[in-house]
Amino acid sequence: MDVLEFTVNGIPRKVLLEEGRIMLSDVLRDFLGLTGTKVGCGAGQCGSCTVVMNGDAVTSCVVPAAKAQGSEVLTIEGLAKEGKLHPIQEAFIEADAIQCGFCTPGLIMRLYSVLTKDPHASEEVLKEAVNKHLCRCTGYETILDAALLAQKKMLNEENA
Amino acid sequence: MDHKYVGKDIVRVDAIAKVTGEPIFIADMSFPNMLHAKALRAGIPHARILNIDTSEAESMPGVVKVAIGKDRPMLFGACFIDQPPVAVDVVRHAGEAVAVVIAKTGHQAQAALSKIKVQYESLPYVLDPIEAMAPDAPLVHEHVENYWRVESAAFPIPGTNVFHHYKLRKGDREKGFSESDVIVESDFEFPLSNHAALEPHGAICRFDAKGGSIEIWASQQGPFILRDVLSGMFKIETSKIRVHSPYLGGGFGGKSDVAMEPLVAWAASFVPGYAVKLILTRQEVFTSSLLGRGMKGTMKLGAKLDGTLTALEATMYFADGAYADAAFFIDTVAGHNCTGPYEIPNCHVDAYGVYTNSPPVGAFRGYGHPEGELMSGRLLHMLAKKLGMPHEELLKKNFLAPGRVNSVGQVMKEDMGDLPGCLDVVLEAIDADKYPKEDEKYFYGKGFAAMFKSPKHAANAGSTCSIHMNNDGCAFVNLSGIEMGQGVYTVFTQMAAEVLQIPIEKVSVYNSIDTQNAPWEWMTVASLQTYRGGRAIQNAGSRLIELGMKNACQVWHCEAETVGYAEGVYTHKDTGATLSLGQLARGFMMKNGVTIGEPLQATGWYRVADVEDPDPETGMGNVASSWTFGAQACYLRVEKTTGEVEILHFASAFDIGKAINPRLVRGQMRGGVVQGLGAAFMEEVLFKDGVIRNTNFSGYHIPKLKDIPKKQSMFILETPHEVGAWSARPIAEHPIVVVAPVVMNAMSDATGIEFTRIPLTPDVVLKALSESKQGR
Repeated sequence: MDVLEFTVNGIPRKVLLEEGRIMLSDVLRDFLGLTGTKVGCGAGQCGSCTVVMNGDAVTSCVVPAAKAQGSEVLTIEGLAKEGKLHPIQEAFIEADAIQCGFCTPGLIMRLYSVLTKDPHASEEVLKEAVNKHLCRCTGYETILDAALLAQKKMLNEENA
Repeated sequence: MDHKYVGKDIVRVDAIAKVTGEPIFIADMSFPNMLHAKALRAGIPHARILNIDTSEAESMPGVVKVAIGKDRPMLFGACFIDQPPVAVDVVRHAGEAVAVVIAKTGHQAQAALSKIKVQYESLPYVLDPIEAMAPDAPLVHEHVENYWRVESAAFPIPGTNVFHHYKLRKGDREKGFSESDVIVESDFEFPLSNHAALEPHGAICRFDAKGGSIEIWASQQGPFILRDVLSGMFKIETSKIRVHSPYLGGGFGGKSDVAMEPLVAWAASFVPGYAVKLILTRQEVFTSSLLGRGMKGTMKLGAKLDGTLTALEATMYFADGAYADAAFFIDTVAGHNCTGPYEIPNCHVDAYGVYTNSPPVGAFRGYGHPEGELMSGRLLHMLAKKLGMPHEELLKKNFLAPGRVNSVGQVMKEDMGDLPGCLDVVLEAIDADKYPKEDEKYFYGKGFAAMFKSPKHAANAGSTCSIHMNNDGCAFVNLSGIEMGQGVYTVFTQMAAEVLQIPIEKVSVYNSIDTQNAPWEWMTVASLQTYRGGRAIQNAGSRLIELGMKNACQVWHCEAETVGYAEGVYTHKDTGATLSLGQLARGFMMKNGVTIGEPLQATGWYRVADVEDPDPETGMGNVASSWTFGAQACYLRVEKTTGEVEILHFASAFDIGKAINPRLVRGQMRGGVVQGLGAAFMEEVLFKDGVIRNTNFSGYHIPKLKDIPKKQSMFILETPHEVGAWSARPIAEHPIVVVAPVVMNAMSDATGIEFTRIPLTPDVVLKALSESKQGR
């Protein structure tokens, strides 16, 4: 059995991988109990399973676990710090970008990746990011609002 | 009247949980001693099972049990019992399970599936509902008439594929058409669709070690109905079955009918003492849960020259798939509500629920209404053109209004809502933008339609509520409304705070629904939780306040007239002494420790009033307790070279009596419209050789951000309803109902093409554009 060693939400982890087609989402959810990462399609098409790996947004349901060897992974559980929500999380609440909540963690993680890499990302870039995700509840408008609001909040925080 | 919490844009109570990944959905759960199941799907639409060899699968690593239908044959259903959890002798659709593997891990179960060998004798299959009604059509079930069903609601035609024939017979069709000056008629089609909730269906089930009781966790909008169904299947009393419903990752009706849970329970019955988990793959959500819609129909309308409607005739054929249970109510409501929100004195409708070799059809947001009102919504537009009358004027002339009679014979009351107001406001919004009729690149067009919807519910559909007061003055509120995105816990919280007059922070709504600890609820469907659950909260809350009053009177040795209640505090009117709800929560303890009075806990309930099944002969009756009316309009443009359609502005207005939380209402409107646009422009379940071929999101497209309207306007009208909690009328499904006819009417305005079938994909539009050019 292979051993996967990587860092998840700042904590070093070691996981024995069982035989078969084990994906990063399986490791996070089934081995580490980080069920905030959702699997909606198992084919990398809906974006619900998006996490941040080495700074990039990846759809963890199609990332073979072995590919995460030595990486740093951030999941939705690692975003709020010391009892304080991340500005993107706050923005989703304030913009009413949540309904059932199944697609929410993936969207937040994608935007985290985009906005940490490029704090001044254009609206077009944010639209491209949201457009990689499926949401069946909200009709997206408030999700885009949340993305723009999150950007504003993060810039304010940086300047503060 | 001023409210403190009702009517306010309160932030969702589950918001923080949902942005931190905290809510537990079915796939997130696991238990000690848990096994994993996978089902082998037939992959062939109609066949006799000749032989199943499971020996090799049984010897695969980790496999605990391989079970086939013959091992434990049974049927399930809530109101029409015709479906086996696993096929026994015959496969009736390609996604049907023929065997189940239970193993230590999901991967092991999956690996063993491919080792099961099944021999089939292929049978002719049928997918089209009209073909399925032909005398020589293959029969999906040989004796539909023999199945147990609710005989007052389902009317099969023996020896055919028709498991339900709903008839509406209002007035005199011949007379109505003979009085008409103009007649319009057309065929229409609303194809099979998939709910595509982002969360796949799942269940975990455990029989106790002796097999005498069942505990099941399931992604279910109707845990109490599931309990009844399992009780019928396994002959175990309902009190020995406990159903838990966690948070749902979207429902849209797709989790309201019992669908995959019986399969999981059936599998678990082979390994009592073990929990068995099965989460559908996305592919299985398409092939092996439930589909929606699937109607072919014809409608004919007669009108006088002044636009007065005189008669409607319609025939609807529903491709309802292999099993009837989840479908036949849809056929009924589609039949009687296909008229749309218009008074038509003579109506003759036949709606047929037809067995076909596809996955069974079940509830899907607004069920029956989008299918039926597609026809009337389009046909009225065609009629207006034929009469040379403004479309808006034709609709308004025939709108249901106080004193007018709907298709089932109910007389509309003063509190029905302002339908003309809804139409005015959306047209005003749309007309604010000015576009040319055509430019080099695009055709531009405007369209609109009005809608109505009634809930389709059991005559005894009810909600119950219990409230327990805690000693810190916090109220624990318990109902069994299921949270699936609509915000039911938030609305319940607001309503409980309002009725109890306590700060909203002091209300805690239970979010762990199970049939043992939570009060009975019919189910979370038909947009009724606010309307009906709200009444149960009002009832329980006022009883709790009364109980506290009794306690206070005991403490103060006085009569109730001497005590006032406000803001969580009882006040003695003479002495000014006060007692809070928290102080009285466990009764009142005096200085010597003696405690008097009852603990503060109260129950309440509400049941839809005087609702009956439609009359078997006329299809009429008091079938619904409330109606919600609305109108939608859009401006769009069609790209001439690609056939792509862009929605420039989409406006919606509904008269919902009272918006308990306008922010959540707008969420329902915004999301419902986009779902409707998905149906109108992209969504269709496609088959190849009887097998669904688009079983993921790369084949079955649902709207993304870039597909939404450039602008959406939403209007909430509030004509108080006399029954609903705080005058609220149902709102949730409604924004999807007439989206398709709205855009099709706009397409007609833009291009002159009378589309009658969706989805209007670029290919379809482009082909129609080129044909219409040739025709000119």
